[in-house]
Amino acid sequence: MITPTDEYRRLGYRRPEPLPRGLDAGVNGMIGRYRRRSGVLRELRREADQVDAMSAEYKDLTNPQLQERLLAFRERFRRGGKDLEAVRPAALAAIREAAHRQTGLRPFPVQLMGALALHRGWLAEMATGEGKTLTASLAAILWGWTRHPCHVVTVNDYLVQRDSKWFGPLYQFCGIRAGHVTADMKPDERRRGYDCDVTYTTSKEVVADFLRDCLHLAALRHPTRLLIRRLLRPGGTTAAAGVVMRGLHSAIVDEADSVLIDEAVTPLIISSMEKNDSLREAVQTAADITDGLNLDADYQIDLRYREVELTETGRAKLAERCSVLPGLWRGPLRRFELIKQALVAREFFHLGKQYILQDGRVVIVDEFTGRQMPNRTWRAGLHQAIEAKERLNISDPTDTLARLSFQRYFRQYFRLAGMTGTAREAAGEFWHIYGLPVVRIPPNRPCIRVQHPDRIFPDQTSKWEAVAAEVQQLHKAGRPVLVGTRSVEVSERLAEVIAAKGLDCHVLNAVRHDTEAVIVACAGEAGRITIATNMAGRGTDIKLGHGVAASGGLAVIATERHESGRVDRQLFGRAARQGDPGSAQAFVSMEDELLRRYLPKRVYPWVARLPVSQEGRAGPTVRAAFALAQRNAQSAAFKMRQSVLRMDDWLDDSLSFAGSEMG
Amino acid sequence: MTDAPPTFSESWYRVAQQRVALRSAVQVHRQNFRGERWYVLQNPFTNQFFRLRPAAYEFVIRLNPNRTVEEVWKECIERAPDDAPGQEAVLQLLSQLYHANLLQYSGAADAAQLFKRYEKTRKRELRGRLLNVMFMRIPLLDPDRFLVRTLPFVGKFISAVGAVLWFIVVGLALKVVADNFPALRSEAQGILAPSNLILLYVSLVFLKTFHEFGHAYFCRKFGGEVHVMGVLFMIFTPTPYVDATSSWGFRERWKRVMVGLAGVIVELFVAALATFVWAKTGPGTVHAIAYNMMFIASVSAIVFNLNPLLRFDGYYILSDLLGIPNLSQQANRQLRYWAEKHLYGLKKEQNPSSNPREAAWLGFFGIASGVYRVFVFAGVLLLVADSFLLIGILMAAVCAVAWVVVPIWKLTNYLASSPRLHRHRVRAVSVTSALAGIVVLFLQFVPFPYHFRAPGIVWSRQWTEVHSETAGRALRLLSPPGSTVTLGQPLLELTSPELELEWQAARARRDEVETRIRQALQEAVPNLEPLHRFLESANKSLAMLEDQRSNLVVRATQAGIWVNPHATELPGRWIARGANLGAIIDPSGFQFLAVVGPEDVDRLFGRELGPAEMRLLGQAGRVLNVTGSRVIPAERRDLPSAALGWLAGGPVRTASDDSQGTRAAEPFFEVRGNVENADDATLLHGRAGRVRFDLPSQPLLPRWMRSLRQLLQRRYQL
Repeated sequence: MITPTDEYRRLGYRRPEPLPRGLDAGVNGMIGRYRRRSGVLRELRREADQVDAMSAEYKDLTNPQLQERLLAFRERFRRGGKDLEAVRPAALAAIREAAHRQTGLRPFPVQLMGALALHRGWLAEMATGEGKTLTASLAAILWGWTRHPCHVVTVNDYLVQRDSKWFGPLYQFCGIRAGHVTADMKPDERRRGYDCDVTYTTSKEVVADFLRDCLHLAALRHPTRLLIRRLLRPGGTTAAAGVVMRGLHSAIVDEADSVLIDEAVTPLIISSMEKNDSLREAVQTAADITDGLNLDADYQIDLRYREVELTETGRAKLAERCSVLPGLWRGPLRRFELIKQALVAREFFHLGKQYILQDGRVVIVDEFTGRQMPNRTWRAGLHQAIEAKERLNISDPTDTLARLSFQRYFRQYFRLAGMTGTAREAAGEFWHIYGLPVVRIPPNRPCIRVQHPDRIFPDQTSKWEAVAAEVQQLHKAGRPVLVGTRSVEVSERLAEVIAAKGLDCHVLNAVRHDTEAVIVACAGEAGRITIATNMAGRGTDIKLGHGVAASGGLAVIATERHESGRVDRQLFGRAARQGDPGSAQAFVSMEDELLRRYLPKRVYPWVARLPVSQEGRAGPTVRAAFALAQRNAQSAAFKMRQSVLRMDDWLDDSLSFAGSEMG
Repeated sequence: MTDAPPTFSESWYRVAQQRVALRSAVQVHRQNFRGERWYVLQNPFTNQFFRLRPAAYEFVIRLNPNRTVEEVWKECIERAPDDAPGQEAVLQLLSQLYHANLLQYSGAADAAQLFKRYEKTRKRELRGRLLNVMFMRIPLLDPDRFLVRTLPFVGKFISAVGAVLWFIVVGLALKVVADNFPALRSEAQGILAPSNLILLYVSLVFLKTFHEFGHAYFCRKFGGEVHVMGVLFMIFTPTPYVDATSSWGFRERWKRVMVGLAGVIVELFVAALATFVWAKTGPGTVHAIAYNMMFIASVSAIVFNLNPLLRFDGYYILSDLLGIPNLSQQANRQLRYWAEKHLYGLKKEQNPSSNPREAAWLGFFGIASGVYRVFVFAGVLLLVADSFLLIGILMAAVCAVAWVVVPIWKLTNYLASSPRLHRHRVRAVSVTSALAGIVVLFLQFVPFPYHFRAPGIVWSRQWTEVHSETAGRALRLLSPPGSTVTLGQPLLELTSPELELEWQAARARRDEVETRIRQALQEAVPNLEPLHRFLESANKSLAMLEDQRSNLVVRATQAGIWVNPHATELPGRWIARGANLGAIIDPSGFQFLAVVGPEDVDRLFGRELGPAEMRLLGQAGRVLNVTGSRVIPAERRDLPSAALGWLAGGPVRTASDDSQGTRAAEPFFEVRGNVENADDATLLHGRAGRVRFDLPSQPLLPRWMRSLRQLLQRRYQL
């Protein structure tokens, strides 16, 4: 029997406030800065020390005794109340002991600090390899005890299964039902997974389930409305019966920067295919027409904003050719739209960079992560235009049924916390959008990575040569080398260059997706050369091979500065984990896209003329230019994400007659 | 060329399966604006209007609860592929219709969102009311039923017959006005007298009630409903108003214009009737009320009602005549478009006007109305502040907020966060701050020619008054007045029979004394001594009388021009001793005596005054040069000539208790300068004029600040 309260809770979610604007945003930013002040860390450390001191108390208890104490804590947490914070250190100390007995891992004080930060609803920045998974489970137990569902959101299904299995005994010991949800599960299994106190799942699954529930509930999405319906029609089966989730109460997001920022605006779409012959035909014709147009003469492009503008001659050319377009597209307005789209597809979307071809289909590659995104399409028309450009069979556009971005989804949790290796670059955004203050948890063992200053080359050729030479040299020293590249295409090319030097290398990119984990796992072997797109294999540790630590550890080479400083740091962070030795260096050139796209149009030519030596040395102005370009790129990306959110809010307001997107 | 909104929208799914339609009560009117066809949707419950282009109208009118939005859109796209709105445009359209409460939809709306919207609207209304405190409206009652019931009678006059009647009455009234114009003008002086204020207000309410019913009846006559009547607090003065916005739905432009004009038409008619009353009555309450009504009808009609630069009737009339609805918003949009295009470099914005002529209209209107509004309100503000300092300060505060703080705040917000600027923000911010900086620097540092004017009179440098030394009857003029005379030249001859007699008596006495001396020489030598003394005295008195006799001819005391305006009337008149007989003026040198108030004089102190220009009253075309001006460093209160004072129609305020009209209400300083002789200008001693002092060029901002401070100091002792 489900009580009305239960049912109400099952559907509960937070209605986030609209983003603050103008001065409000400034004040809000100041509050955020205060919330993540350094004093917070001292507070955490004090509490962690308290936990540490209390640990001794539980050491000598027998298992049943410890369990009894844990269940007592569970009751205490379930009752809730204001003084929970006072009980927290003792409870955490007990959990720590349980973790030690059940998993063999004894949480370090820094992990305790992390768990405390998560429980307070903060974003904990913890370096990879510091045991984030264990940290998350500690916090999940604290939240799980309240019986409100706690979602632990990780990167992929493999980790979901591994973690839930790994910590299963711990949860059970603590009196918590833990479950997981993966892509291949049926609705019933999913519901069982979500019915648990703690549910391990991926961001994609959790959003998709939420959306499916929304579609299922339709107008009854709002719990109050459902409750009223129940009161009006008692006894009837409710729509809530088909719902798999139990409301959005608390969530701990692993790799929070990738989920909450990098992928924040890529919406998850539930869609169906829709026949649209006219569009397909039109796109095909447009592709044929644009074949005759030339860059600069007929149209001009804007790199920064990815836009195409037709020139007068281009327009004239089009006017005569467009009569072959099908009806809808013949008029001047729609015709330009179509042609521009074809040109955008041609100029800004490149095979191997934004997408790859697989089995005659366009598969989107995430520019940030280098990961493939099968089942994802660009907006109607653009996707088709790219297919036309690649001379593939043009697919039908998808018909969206429901659509939700991670950004909007995660704002709806009552309590949100996150972990990631790199957060401070985006601390402002985490606070502004999600209300998450970032706190930096120090590593258990100090990091001894040697970060060499960037080497800057005048052009691409000299850069690639220098990279190859550096790889060769490091290889000779017996150190494993990991080279990060920006796109699939570049990784393949670099592999050729290195192979030409007679070295054996392993390439990890979106195309060779399946072997990802194996290649990454072995990347720490002595003398191994691995070339990977930016974030391939993220989440897997690179363990150093035998004797590697003595020769200097893993060397990481970045071949370009990324748009986001976080991504750079993630790559560098693959070296020198958990106190191991290691080094990292970036090789960049004055021809890099970062500079060309994100320096002001008038500044770039001036910067490009600055003297840069062939050996990769450059003056402070050049370095400042790189920093500026990166900052521009980051703020542009932030603004874009923010405007997407505002746009969604606007739509919700404007179209509220059609019901909110989420109820 | 600007980009049309894209054909496909990612958010389309949100409305695709919705079944929506226009609310059944929505009325559709077809109108032409500047040669283009538009459809105006009207929600009769809220009197909200919404304008659609034909293509959008084609879509909207097809919406039907039996079909989904998607089906309707597809049909439209098939019918008119290029004109039909794309998905993005449909989304916008539906959202606008929804916000205008014109849309009926089947599903339950998002109640929380609705509530939020309601709150937002309420807040905005409240803020608007506070900021618009000078024209606050409070709706009170619904006059529609009353109008409908009385229309059969009143409506008869809204016709050709009515028009003829109106022209006859108003024409006759104009004739009455023309006949009695001087009386009319003289009465205007007392219009703002405290005793008249209550009558003025009563007349205002009376007249404005007719005015508003005029709008209401015209609107009703043409088929529009009038549901709101209330009180408009126009500058804290409650006056009636009606809401005749339903006239916006009229298809014929002239009907809309007529409804706009109706108020003034009725008002003028009532004022015409009042004119007859005024002309037929003597002073009294009825007379005063009639006069007040005439005054209000003419002044308020021109300054307020018919003036399109303020948002009263004239604005709506002009808006209809030009065929540009929402004229003021459009004008602002046009100005913003220009700024964005030319200053901020936004190339893709859509020009709000369809042709250059419209753009010119909009631009002109936008600037003119802004400037005019500031002037009118500044004037009103000063007027109110003069009488009620506290209210004045409150109003000034409100105005400062509404016109300075809010616009600056809006501009800052717009620059900081408007999505329109998002690629041009750096340029927009730098251009705006540069412009603001240039304006400030310009005002602060670029000197402008600086001068100020002061009233004064022309004074001869060398002049003496001519007096008669002897009393006598003027016999004849020896020199014509106005002629150049030399020193000692006889001017006027007097006769004095008494003096003659005295003189003869004196002479006789002397002769007698002489005779007696001679006699004494022979007879009584000891008497000689007193007799000699007697003679002496007789001689003396004789000499004196002789002197007086010679003074009967009045002579010029210096060389120059003898000026005596009344000289020709002199002969035959008795001239007392010491009487003024005009003056003799040296025509070779005149000086100018300017009267400068204390607030201006500090600008003249302590600096070499350059050449100044002088214009005599009545001879404004001639410019005389004044050189060597200097300030007499002492405060004075006595005017050099009564011609400068208020009593004599001059510009200087005189003390109210001074019947002579030469005592100034406020102390002043005298500035003297030499007038350079100009051949063609007739300089006359004592002639009034204005002198313009050219001061060294000075930037404007410090000057304005000083003026403002002085104004506050002088008016409010702040």
